[in-house]
Amino acid sequence: MSDCDTFRAQLAPYLDGELDRADARALEAHIDGCAGCGAALDELDRLRRALRDANLRHTAPPALRARIAAEPLPLPARRRVPSAPAWLRYAACALLAFGAGALAMRERAPGAQAQLEHDAFASHWRALAAATPVDVVSSDRHTVKPWFAGKVAQAPVVRDFADQGFPLVGGRIDYLGGARVPVLVYRHGQHVIDVFVLPSGSATHAGASAQDAGYTLRFVTLGGQPAAIVADTDASELAKLIALIESASSS
Amino acid sequence: MSAAWVAELAQQHLDAAYNLGRWLLGNEQDAADAVHDAYLRAARGAATYAGGNARAWWLAIVRNCCLAKLSSAQRETDWARSEAAHVAAAHAVALPASAVEERAQSEQWRQRVGECLRTLPREFRETLVLRELEDLSYREIADVLGVPIGTVMSRLARGRALLQQALTPHGEEAP
Repeated sequence: MSDCDTFRAQLAPYLDGELDRADARALEAHIDGCAGCGAALDELDRLRRALRDANLRHTAPPALRARIAAEPLPLPARRRVPSAPAWLRYAACALLAFGAGALAMRERAPGAQAQLEHDAFASHWRALAAATPVDVVSSDRHTVKPWFAGKVAQAPVVRDFADQGFPLVGGRIDYLGGARVPVLVYRHGQHVIDVFVLPSGSATHAGASAQDAGYTLRFVTLGGQPAAIVADTDASELAKLIALIESASSS
Repeated sequence: MSAAWVAELAQQHLDAAYNLGRWLLGNEQDAADAVHDAYLRAARGAATYAGGNARAWWLAIVRNCCLAKLSSAQRETDWARSEAAHVAAAHAVALPASAVEERAQSEQWRQRVGECLRTLPREFRETLVLRELEDLSYREIADVLGVPIGTVMSRLARGRALLQQALTPHGEEAP
């Protein structure tokens, strides 16, 4: 029963959808055989339902909506050159510095593609360092796809390839080369694979690739849409996922 | 990022902003004023948006404007005190024991849930509101509150424990 303390601490993240699949499965298996933890989960779930069923959410009065709509927009203070957010660059630098022994800093050629490479690696590492690499958790395209709609100009084709060994973990939005892009997050074994769906007409060379700190970035075209994929999986495994997405996109 | 982008963002998440304002400030007028202030601040600061989750960025500004309004500690204690009185009143009403009056009880139960949430200390209240009413992820909540994710988790745990306690007085089991 000494495991119970660990599992109890995971009950809330589990209900909140913040536990990764492996931990969630382990927890479910434990709850099946542990009445105490099961009861604790029920209690948390009851509280959640009480909060959500009590109509506690206030909606904005129409007058406020009108007040804000009537507000004249200030002119932008200055024209911003599209670039990666400064903190992303810092995050990437910090990560590189952190693992300096293992990592080799290298000069990057200036240009759109180099910027995209830089941002994609930074985004991937930042997501790995975070508690969860996704903002919307799902293995189901019916929740991931609508989540993207309205957040980005181009909602990506969302497919789960769990049966083929690449379950869809979820999605997030990130910045690449100054553009908001959807990121589909797949898992393969212990590896996290980020698929950045780039805006049409991105200045990238399909087939180009880059390496950094053991991570590989590949620029590809998926169903006519440019994309960048970052992962630390074998090239052959990555090729499998690319083929899966490609066939799903064109079907 | 342009001011037009902020306008779209604010309209899209206006309910979330207003709801947070209501739970922090307690009344319609203050909440609406704080959201309006936040909108002006966000539109002026649109160029400083540095990436990341846009909804969290917007709600963080809303929250700052709410806290600025709260800054006179006087107000918060006044509000909490008046709310505490409400709760005392809510508790004074005996809950119908019979299952026949289930409907009345559920309405009363809802009110009680609301009153208990209202009387939670601010840091637990705002964390629970963002999680349970706005459905924000831990990461988004951490961004809005400007605290580490671990703090979000401990506040949720503590807030939920306090709520559970408040909702099951005299050792009764919650319905």
